[in-house]
Amino acid sequence: MAEKRITIRATRFDPAKDEAPRLQSYDIPFSDDSMVVLDALNYIKSHVDGSLSYRWSCRMGICGSCGMTVNGTPKLTCAAFLRDYWPGAVTVTPLNNFPIVRDLVVDMEDFMHKLQSIKPWIIRKQEMPLGAGEHLQTMDQIDDFRQFSQCINCMLCYAACPVYGLDDKFLGPAAIALARRYNLDSRDQGTLQRLPVLASSDGVWECSFVGECSVVCPKGVDPAKAIQQTKLDTTVRFILPFGNRE
Amino acid sequence: MSAEAGASRATKTYRQKMSAGWWTQKRHYFLYMVREFTALPLALWLLWLLYEIYRAGRGPSHFYAPTSTAFVTFSVICLAFALYHSFTFLSLAGVILHFKVLDKPVPSRLIVMSQFGLWLVATIVIGAVLIGFGR
Repeated sequence: MAEKRITIRATRFDPAKDEAPRLQSYDIPFSDDSMVVLDALNYIKSHVDGSLSYRWSCRMGICGSCGMTVNGTPKLTCAAFLRDYWPGAVTVTPLNNFPIVRDLVVDMEDFMHKLQSIKPWIIRKQEMPLGAGEHLQTMDQIDDFRQFSQCINCMLCYAACPVYGLDDKFLGPAAIALARRYNLDSRDQGTLQRLPVLASSDGVWECSFVGECSVVCPKGVDPAKAIQQTKLDTTVRFILPFGNRE
Repeated sequence: MSAEAGASRATKTYRQKMSAGWWTQKRHYFLYMVREFTALPLALWLLWLLYEIYRAGRGPSHFYAPTSTAFVTFSVICLAFALYHSFTFLSLAGVILHFKVLDKPVPSRLIVMSQFGLWLVATIVIGAVLIGFGR
């Protein structure tokens, strides 16, 4: 029986030589139905072309580093099975909307700055000494923000967001979802510190609710929900005289 | 998403640009654009309604009911867009609204159903008033 094979088309871009990215095809064995796109890239790197550059780490949908565009859709390549595309070819390109550093590697600097700007940590008006014990929470209080705490910063939502693609000043889905995660945390008292960033012209109001961020999110975070709820919250805070509570 | 020229020499990166037809590349994007576009025919129809009110305000001699085929067709198209716009808006209400009753979050499905229920009630009331005045 003939060996099963699959064609992988991957973006190649060498900033020292190339003016623009191009696609390069690789015909590789598809030996195992459990193979994912990341396996295919690893095969290419190990056996065909060692110069192919891409990011990956955990190989199990936790680290968020292997996000790429697979046949036009942002995906974690460790969770994109080749069997879902075979016998068709698989086209792997870098995440949309980010500058390409080399081949399938994108520049994450902009996202990192945005992530930092929303202060994704617990802010207290006055820190308790360690000896005072933990900040206790009920399960119901955890449930308030649990969904938004599942983000792995894979940036698929930014790649799927046309608003960010058209205007990269937009704070973006993951950063806003994470801000909401901390604003909903009963231990946190930093909502008013995050509001100027969230409610700015480049914050939640830039979003026009395309919703694709939530469709592509591999962890079910639903950033679109976080953004719309934050819009409602900022409006209530603005309108009601007692709205600017913490 | 097209990869158009725009390589940045300073940072040695290639900046990707969105093509003008980005919204045709995915069904979800296309439906989003349709949803946004529905506001335009609605706005046009409401402008027409304002003009009708202005004409009616000038007395019976200045008013005549628009019954042309073109206007009826335009109105039916506007109605379809209005229904789609309302459907998407009310469906999304479950995502946006979040509140608790007795310390328990209200399920989004219940919020959506209540929105559609209110919509139905409002439609019946407004319809009854208009038909009542028409007689």
